[in-house]
Amino acid sequence: MGVDLFEITVNLVKMIFIFVMMVNAVPLLVWVERRGSAFIQNRYGPNRVGPLGLVQLLADAVKFIFKEEFVPGKGHRLVFYLAPVVALIPGALAFAAIPLSMPIELGEFSQIPLGLFTIDLGETYGPYRFAFQGYEIGIGIVFVLGVSSLAAYALLMAGWGSANKYSLYGALRASAQTISYELALGLSLVGILLLFNTFNFKEIVEIQSQALTFSFLGSQMTVPYLPNWGIIYQPVGAIIFFAAMFAETNRLPFDLPEAEAELVAGYHTEYGGIKMNMFYIGEYGHMLVASALMVTFYFGGYTLYPFFTPETVNQFWSETMGLTGNPVALLSSLSLHLVFMVKLVIFLWVFIHVRWTLPRFRYDQLMDLGWKTMLPWALANTILTAVVILIMRAAWS
Amino acid sequence: MLGAAIPFYILSFLVLFFAYKTITSPNPIHCALHLAITMINLAFIFFGLNSPFIGGVQLVVYAGAVMVLFVMVLMLFDLKTEVRAFSRGLFSSFLKVASSGFLAGILIVGVLMSTDMLDVTSDSVGVGVKATSSTDIALLLFNQYVFAFEVLGLLLLLVAVGAVAVSRIPGGTHAND
Amino acid sequence: MTELIPVFALTGFVILFGLALVFATSLLGPKTKQSKVKQLAYECGLEGEGADSTKVPVKFYLTAILFILFDIEIIFMYPWALAYKDFIATGRGLFIFSSMAVFLAIFIFGLFWEIRSKALEWE
Repeated sequence: MGVDLFEITVNLVKMIFIFVMMVNAVPLLVWVERRGSAFIQNRYGPNRVGPLGLVQLLADAVKFIFKEEFVPGKGHRLVFYLAPVVALIPGALAFAAIPLSMPIELGEFSQIPLGLFTIDLGETYGPYRFAFQGYEIGIGIVFVLGVSSLAAYALLMAGWGSANKYSLYGALRASAQTISYELALGLSLVGILLLFNTFNFKEIVEIQSQALTFSFLGSQMTVPYLPNWGIIYQPVGAIIFFAAMFAETNRLPFDLPEAEAELVAGYHTEYGGIKMNMFYIGEYGHMLVASALMVTFYFGGYTLYPFFTPETVNQFWSETMGLTGNPVALLSSLSLHLVFMVKLVIFLWVFIHVRWTLPRFRYDQLMDLGWKTMLPWALANTILTAVVILIMRAAWS
Repeated sequence: MLGAAIPFYILSFLVLFFAYKTITSPNPIHCALHLAITMINLAFIFFGLNSPFIGGVQLVVYAGAVMVLFVMVLMLFDLKTEVRAFSRGLFSSFLKVASSGFLAGILIVGVLMSTDMLDVTSDSVGVGVKATSSTDIALLLFNQYVFAFEVLGLLLLLVAVGAVAVSRIPGGTHAND
Repeated sequence: MTELIPVFALTGFVILFGLALVFATSLLGPKTKQSKVKQLAYECGLEGEGADSTKVPVKFYLTAILFILFDIEIIFMYPWALAYKDFIATGRGLFIFSSMAVFLAIFIFGLFWEIRSKALEWE
């Protein structure tokens, strides 16, 4: 975790900051969702409380906490209370494992310059290396997949703990749907693994930060001015991955579990107030993870060749702006983080736009899509990728 | 070294505690949930023992698939009579503790007897062949154990056919209630 | 083990955060009298129909068990994909491709058999 107190503190604060960022993204996303849906449906949306209705969500959050506590009479209290807590965990753990920018490599320093004055620390600190993520797990992809497969427990616990048959039905539907689409999800990533040969997110992003380079019948080809993004090699895989991620988040058009016409409100029928809201935090956390994974696997992560790569950003801050030492490392990492955030926001908007554009599936259509359409297509994608790599590399070597 | 040992002991304690709760909980769904926590903790022990791929598989397959199935199935059936039967009085709890003690005894004896056969002192993590990274696992799997791997595919197919066949049988223990 | 400490720290923090939120409501929220009618399972305001818990189609069970089988097959493709280019570089590309091709053929046969046998039909 760190060698001295400074490093440990920074790592802890960073981790909690990323979690709080995820939690705070929820009201913002809800605001964007409500304003966005209003924009799509030609309405106003929340616009009374505060500028552009931004404070509405703060008011909602306060209201949620001051709601009455309620447990259904026949409910299983412990499971009922724990389900929303469990719903928070998968999203938080998965999101913290995704690199949001390149690591900050700090050299030795003994004072902190703050514009006009400097703080003298008295002793020398460093050198440090801070990863721009909650924690670095070497086997990132499998860790994230494994952690997000735990999401089914929160649904099942909520459905069973409420002792309501509609809740239970919603929970069973939701978990059957999540696990069905997990197959297509896992299979669509095999193509990415075949291409990049690593489980590590950082290495995947580094490979994508170069110009488009591939083997063509045994010889190395480079296309300048085009980034080495996964989407160029894996367009079908990207579509399957994104669609499967939609199903994992249980959002429209895959929100069968809470089909209100049939099941009241699905697994959170009996929930209200902040407990209900915690399920939403979990859902939006999944959405963040889905968008971040999409950016990392298929759209170059925190880099944007040829404009924003670790090299060009470093060069900009050190040569064009004339800075040296630690500020360069800090600023270049932050600028790459901005690139990541822009891409992330684009995908979050796609999530919201799709929700307000497409109608809901019927349950048999949903299962058919998962098992009979997306799984075979993901399989075909994997086989095709393997064959192409084999022909391009082996047959002529 | 101590820093590495503390999380291991915490995890081991959690594994043993929740495994114990799995056996002693009267409610089958609580049992299944406790077993799920045990599986997750086991996965993290694998992560810590430099076998991240095995840990990931443990997380995806056991915690994310097998235990979800168990929980789902237990919710599917309405286990009221079973709950009553298994939470009744001293005798059933004695039976539970005794049978789990018996199983644990078999395991301990098995481990103690097999330590002589295996060379565990030289390599405490990977017994036999050393496979530290995920690529090593792949090399092992596709060099030495290709045949076993293909047979495994067939075995899984057989299980799938069996599951479909069993689900077709009308009736069963809960057919009439 | 040490690289896992942040994971545990985050898990602990998230659980504490969640529990704190859940308990905050029970402290801050209004306390009203709970009555038997209020604590009934919610069924759109009507009185509950039928038994407390209904029988669930065996389809869910079947879906879950088929999911486990396919999940195991897919997880085996991960190390294969990881080492694919290494094998090609050492000139054994055709071998690793065909070993997975046989495995995949069984997988695809299973999938299409299940589709044919209507095990995946939902009505």
